[in-house]
Amino acid sequence: KHSPAPKITECAAYMCTGVSKLPNGLVIASLENYSPLSTVGVFVKAGSRYETMENQGVSHVLRLAANLTTKGASALKLCRSVEALGGSLSATSSRESMVYTASCLRDHLDSLMELLVNVTTAQEFRPWEVDDLTSRVKIDKALAQQCPQIGVIEKLHEAAYKNALSNSLYCPDYMVGRISPNQLQSFVEGTFTTGRMALVGVGVKHSVLRQVGEELLSVRSGAGAPVAQSVYRGGELRVQNNDDLVHTLIASEGSVAGSAEANAFTVLQGILGAGPHVKRGSNITSKLSQGIAKATTQPFDATAFNASYSDSGLFGVYTIAQADSAGEVIKAAIGQVRGIAGGNVSAADITRAKNQVKAEYLMSIESSEGLLEEMGAQALTTAAYQPPDTVLQTIDAVTQDDVVKAAKKFVNGKKTVAASGNLVNTPFVDEL
Amino acid sequence: MMSLAARSGTFSPYMQATAFTVAGPLKALVPGVVVKEEKILLNPKKHFLCRESLNGQSPKTGHAVTVSINGSAGIRFAHTDIRMPDFSDYRRSEVLDANKSSQESSEARRAYSYLVTGASTMVGIYTAKTVVTQFVSSMSASADVLALSKIEIKLSDIPEGKNMTFKWRGKPLFVRHRTEKEIATEAAVNIGELRDPQHDKDRVINPSWVIVLGVCTHLGCVPIANAGDFGGYYCPCHGSHYDASGRIRKGPAPLNLEVPYYEFPDDDTVVVG
Repeated sequence: KHSPAPKITECAAYMCTGVSKLPNGLVIASLENYSPLSTVGVFVKAGSRYETMENQGVSHVLRLAANLTTKGASALKLCRSVEALGGSLSATSSRESMVYTASCLRDHLDSLMELLVNVTTAQEFRPWEVDDLTSRVKIDKALAQQCPQIGVIEKLHEAAYKNALSNSLYCPDYMVGRISPNQLQSFVEGTFTTGRMALVGVGVKHSVLRQVGEELLSVRSGAGAPVAQSVYRGGELRVQNNDDLVHTLIASEGSVAGSAEANAFTVLQGILGAGPHVKRGSNITSKLSQGIAKATTQPFDATAFNASYSDSGLFGVYTIAQADSAGEVIKAAIGQVRGIAGGNVSAADITRAKNQVKAEYLMSIESSEGLLEEMGAQALTTAAYQPPDTVLQTIDAVTQDDVVKAAKKFVNGKKTVAASGNLVNTPFVDEL
Repeated sequence: MMSLAARSGTFSPYMQATAFTVAGPLKALVPGVVVKEEKILLNPKKHFLCRESLNGQSPKTGHAVTVSINGSAGIRFAHTDIRMPDFSDYRRSEVLDANKSSQESSEARRAYSYLVTGASTMVGIYTAKTVVTQFVSSMSASADVLALSKIEIKLSDIPEGKNMTFKWRGKPLFVRHRTEKEIATEAAVNIGELRDPQHDKDRVINPSWVIVLGVCTHLGCVPIANAGDFGGYYCPCHGSHYDASGRIRKGPAPLNLEVPYYEFPDDDTVVVG
């Protein structure tokens, strides 16, 4: 039974996104926009959630091992060829997926794709090269530690889940230098299978990608290792240090990615405030900022935090406050969400939030990187691509009831708190 | 499907640098790290102190970490993470200790280095000069040519009044043993009458021996000895008469016969050339 022809969805006259699924499960998606630059991404369900208790940190090392020697190209050849083509090769990993992105001028794409296929399917993990990665792991961790936001988010996930999603994106200290090539190889064998991969290209012909997918990426076929369902537990992790800025993230279980509830949470995030929209503005449209400004005069920052994964999600409030006013800031932020849960949200707020969400979504897919990411995420999870119009319609379909219900879910759900800084004035989770 | 886009989301620029990678060498990167032996030196933390610098620092969704071949993880500070090899086998004993000041031994080391350099330079210059002169002088006349350039004549073989002809440097050489009468005659000639005025004593070292080239100065024929109106030589080609000193007296030749360089190492031999 031959694979179905690519579904051409309604788009602009000449730019059509084609999505097709090979019989072995590999999803191919492409958009030919006739740009002089071609970008290809291999999306793999190999994020940190798929680590087990024995190989914690393997996804971090795997991410760094993207430029090691493969069967078809040595590390030197990889680096040299990529630079000779003037292209770029990068590996990005999140909790759910690992993305290998390669981009270069359209004419040189076939050479770069050959290297990309080598990197994703023909890894060798030579022991001395893997040993050399230890210093890079340490550098990564040192860089991440400089940024309190990363630490807080990692701690939140660790406190909120019992498994899978609680794994950190960074290698834990006790595993630095202890990830062996065998562990890397078995992780790759279990996750880099065609049933868990998507090959996406922007500025590429669909037929070209299909050929690469059929011939080269189908080395390991099947569904791979079994996927553990992540279990939300709720908890608290506080990191006391002498930073005078306190970063706090209070979250409760949110929505699964792709569900209608997820759209409601996104609109709720927009109402509460999700980052500044105007440079040097005073965040007029952010309920959180306005509410907290009444509670304290000291500098602060607050956004609504929303993360959706394939089987769970997190929704909450992220605040940055001075050490002595942290308590007031947090209480004011939670108060705002409680207000919305009680129905204190106007239609104007909802419309404004919807517009902001829609605008942000459209702007994010204007660049080829953003578009590749969006196409890849959709292809990997649903094996289809919804054009922007459809997405905008689903946003518009969110009602006030949906938003209030989402806010109630946060208020009533078991909360998780992660905080870092001088926590003298920061409330505990049972005090909220 | 909106939630899928919210999955990635955009951070404030500060977060962006650490969360997302560079797509190429043009975008700004996270500040690099300096790896010094086993310690990692980082830029000190930026303090957010006012509302404006805090604005946008809160993340709104989970982050993703990126590594790239020509991105931030590819930065190398070559002057700190390349290990210097150990050169102690090649160092002088005075400077092996890294904690001791090298000033005390600096003069001695400098003097030694300069002395060795200076001496080598002198020797080198001398050698170069010798080699160059050897090569250049190889272009000068070779020994066989030089050997032919001088002629040694035994004077006791030539009787008085006789003129002997030798081949010298490809030309005929006249050696004439003059009689007393001829010497006196030539010495008494009035120089003013000569076409090419030269006194006899200017043309000979020892008056009893006259040594001239046997080439007529007119057009190069060989004059006949003991012929002509003046008791010297007569050129048969165009009728030039030379006297016993080889000076032109009559005829078309403009100059006297050429006198080569010669010397008498002893009374019995003359070396011409």
